[in-house]
Amino acid sequence: MEPRWSYKSNVWPDWCPGCGNFGILTALLKALEELSLDPSQTVIVSGIGCSGKTPHFVNVNGVHTLHGRAIPFATGIKLANPGLKVIVHGGDGDLLGIGAGHFVALGRRNIDVTVILHDNGVYGLTKGQASPTLPLKARTKSLAKPNIQQPVNPVLLALSSGYTFVARGYAFDGAYLKNLIKMAVQHRGAAFIDVLQPCITFNDVYTADFYRKAVYKLESDPGWDPVVKTSEEASVKLMRAVEKSLEWGDRIPVGVFYVNPHVSTFEERLGERLRKYPVQNPSNTPIESAGKPVLSQEAFEKMFKEFIVRVSGTQGR
Amino acid sequence: MGGSLKEVGILLGGPQGSGIETSMWILSRVLVSKGYGVIADREYFSNITGRHSYIQMLASSVKPPRSLKYPVEILASMDAETVFTHFTDISEGGILIYDVNTSSRRIDEIPSMEDATRERVARILSDKNVEPSVESVVKYLERDKRILPLGLDFSALLKTLSEQYRIDARALSRFLSGIIVSSVAVVLGLSEEAVVQGFEQQFGERKHLVEQNTALYRLVRDALSNHYGAVRLDEPGFSMEKAMVVTGNDVVAIAKIVAGVRYQSYYPITPAADESFLLERYDNIVDETGEVVGSVVVVQTEDEIAAVNSAIGAALTGARASTTTSGPGFDLMVEGLSWAGMNEVPLVITYYQRGGPSTGQPTRGSQSDLFNAVFAGHGEFARVVLSSSDHLEAFYDTIEAFNIAEKYQVPVIHLLDKFLANTVAVMPVPDLGGVGIERGVLAKGGPGYKRFSLESLISPRAFIGARDTVMWYTGDEHDEHGHIAEDPEIRVKMYSKRIEKLNLIQRELPLERKLRLHGPGSPDYLVVGWGSVKGVVLDAIEYFSEKGLRMAYLDVKLLWPFPSEEFLKITSGLPDSRILAVEHSYGVNIAELVSMSTGRRIVKRVSKYTGRPIMLDELVKGLEEIVSGRRERVVLTYGA
Repeated sequence: MEPRWSYKSNVWPDWCPGCGNFGILTALLKALEELSLDPSQTVIVSGIGCSGKTPHFVNVNGVHTLHGRAIPFATGIKLANPGLKVIVHGGDGDLLGIGAGHFVALGRRNIDVTVILHDNGVYGLTKGQASPTLPLKARTKSLAKPNIQQPVNPVLLALSSGYTFVARGYAFDGAYLKNLIKMAVQHRGAAFIDVLQPCITFNDVYTADFYRKAVYKLESDPGWDPVVKTSEEASVKLMRAVEKSLEWGDRIPVGVFYVNPHVSTFEERLGERLRKYPVQNPSNTPIESAGKPVLSQEAFEKMFKEFIVRVSGTQGR
Repeated sequence: MGGSLKEVGILLGGPQGSGIETSMWILSRVLVSKGYGVIADREYFSNITGRHSYIQMLASSVKPPRSLKYPVEILASMDAETVFTHFTDISEGGILIYDVNTSSRRIDEIPSMEDATRERVARILSDKNVEPSVESVVKYLERDKRILPLGLDFSALLKTLSEQYRIDARALSRFLSGIIVSSVAVVLGLSEEAVVQGFEQQFGERKHLVEQNTALYRLVRDALSNHYGAVRLDEPGFSMEKAMVVTGNDVVAIAKIVAGVRYQSYYPITPAADESFLLERYDNIVDETGEVVGSVVVVQTEDEIAAVNSAIGAALTGARASTTTSGPGFDLMVEGLSWAGMNEVPLVITYYQRGGPSTGQPTRGSQSDLFNAVFAGHGEFARVVLSSSDHLEAFYDTIEAFNIAEKYQVPVIHLLDKFLANTVAVMPVPDLGGVGIERGVLAKGGPGYKRFSLESLISPRAFIGARDTVMWYTGDEHDEHGHIAEDPEIRVKMYSKRIEKLNLIQRELPLERKLRLHGPGSPDYLVVGWGSVKGVVLDAIEYFSEKGLRMAYLDVKLLWPFPSEEFLKITSGLPDSRILAVEHSYGVNIAELVSMSTGRRIVKRVSKYTGRPIMLDELVKGLEEIVSGRRERVVLTYGA
């Protein structure tokens, strides 16, 4: 079937030839196509760095924000218009360094947003400094000295922060990544995909060759089932996912680690408080009629009666 | 106290968390219900329980008061610390209400008192040859200052109450506010009926609290029966059928609901957070039939960075969005502010100044962030900075902040301060008939829509989510579609377009949004200031005009873009030597802003940076010093 829209914009991607970002972009475009998402109802929000440019290359709404702050922008966009599909793209420095607090907060809230981490172990656009996912003592060719800091485990952090869909993909396995993206976008709640992405210019440790040898699919284990069927099952499935998340080195698992559809989303929790929220977005609730506030004088005085004092004067004092 | 008074100053003091604030609310409402004007400033430490907290109030029979004065006619103290800290604040012939159980307390037995304060007070007492005990201070006040001490036995009153209502001893401290309210009401001769109404409005559904506090009022009235109406306020001389009694935080939150705010984010910080609490309490907006007509999403974010950026995100979808903070939080928001400037986002930041730098004085007031609001952010971009001078102005300005933000697609900083945020004041019920909602030039979007079209200075705005519309935003320089562009020609066009909006704003905003001149035309002296110094300056001007000196006040409401031409026009007849500036800061920064914007140099400055509000009496003295030519710069320090 012909897609209804062309999802590729006419902006030339200025990434280094052979960059893992191309694989992620292709998988994203294909996923959008197969999901047939309405571009006007879809928003890609990015941070800063090579991955930050992603929205410009895609023909859906794009918001290219500040270093580390894509998640807060996405939070405001989604909560103000919960009808939108919101997808965050960020690098490992962006989401797990400067933006780590926001990364955790999104999981806690379980807002229906998909986060795609372009995980290449280095800061690309500033020429290869060690990022939060580069292991201790690792030395890429761009580093003057071996890395002096310990790495963050993105999958483990997402699991412990409350993300209700957690997966890992590989940039150069496009078909597989596309399916992960589709599942993540369709998941109701905070979804996270850690995408292993070779940086061919600055990271000569995590190369395409390294990943090709190490990566294996979780579902190759016939017993693997990451989906929480009943909320009682959640902790058992979470522990299994945690265990799997610790595997790194000769064998690196990709695939879906954990899915829990039984946790309410932030939007649903808001809907319980705000009677209009489930049917009327803050972004399109009328706030004026003929240039006047929707609140009449009478409604105003009724609503704020606790602040209004009737003056009886001093008669009978 | 002979005769009756036009206005009465009242000071209520006690440990933080003991109900001083409750007392303030009840007394304010009782006085307003009787037709009096009230203003009450709340001073407190950055502490939850135990430190010295006090309320300074003024009740007026002639007008809604706009400034505070010292000394006060009535000091009502819950504890010994209040007596020590404020005994010099009572006017001759005034009244001291105190707990007789504290009589034997000595100043060195009060651990909650700061050492520096204790030493300062002890020095004052020793200079007067007064023993540092409550008893001696009371005797001194009675003998040397003709102050009437009204000692109440707080524990006996509470014991009687607890026996009558079987109240658990641990819950009794909740009734301290009742004693304070009742004793002040008795001294002012306020009727039982009015006081009970005050209790009813405060305690609402908790009927037992109304009943028990009423019983307490009667006990206090019996104990003070000889002093009922000892301080007489004149019959109220102005009439309002109904009035609002609100803090600045309240009034801004209420105005945001009228303005149609649909998204508010915040990270907890004093003195801004109360605004968001109120919004959250009213997050279902209802019409006169109780039907919900809209809702406000209030989000407590993980930090101020998330607060500002999520509000920007919400604004991109078309929701009226704002965030609220004070100095330290604003500092964190500045990167987002630049992004909003770059992307022409209508965002409102409500900025309540407090004492800095750093955490400075977290619970005290200041106006020292003027430059932070006007200049913060990297690069050059258009922003609007508005200030409000009192509660009613803050109401209308809050709505205007959103209108300006959307009309010109710029971030707007509404610059307020702790004095306004925490001060309770009476104001008329706003007239919504005069309120307009302007959303600016909107576009439906559609295929090929250019968010940053260069066809006009203000590009018609479509919201993310509009049908068949795709748009891009980036913090980088961009083309009309919002895609990154580094071409020098595009750079110049986009950069200029963003900044040149300031000229349009200058042209289109009416004069009364920019500058307001109060007092006589062609005055002898002109005082320049902004924000919450207005009230006290206006009262000082009145004082001087009674003395035959014509003084006027120029209230700068639009701080940026600075209304240079209008300022020059208004001040054209006056030499620099006849212009003064007043501000709650060391530098009196408004004078520097005037200087850079107009070339006029204001040398004469009155400054206060203790964190406490400017009192009428000290301002009058300060202005006299300057007008007499004795000094060019006066620093005010009054307050405990």
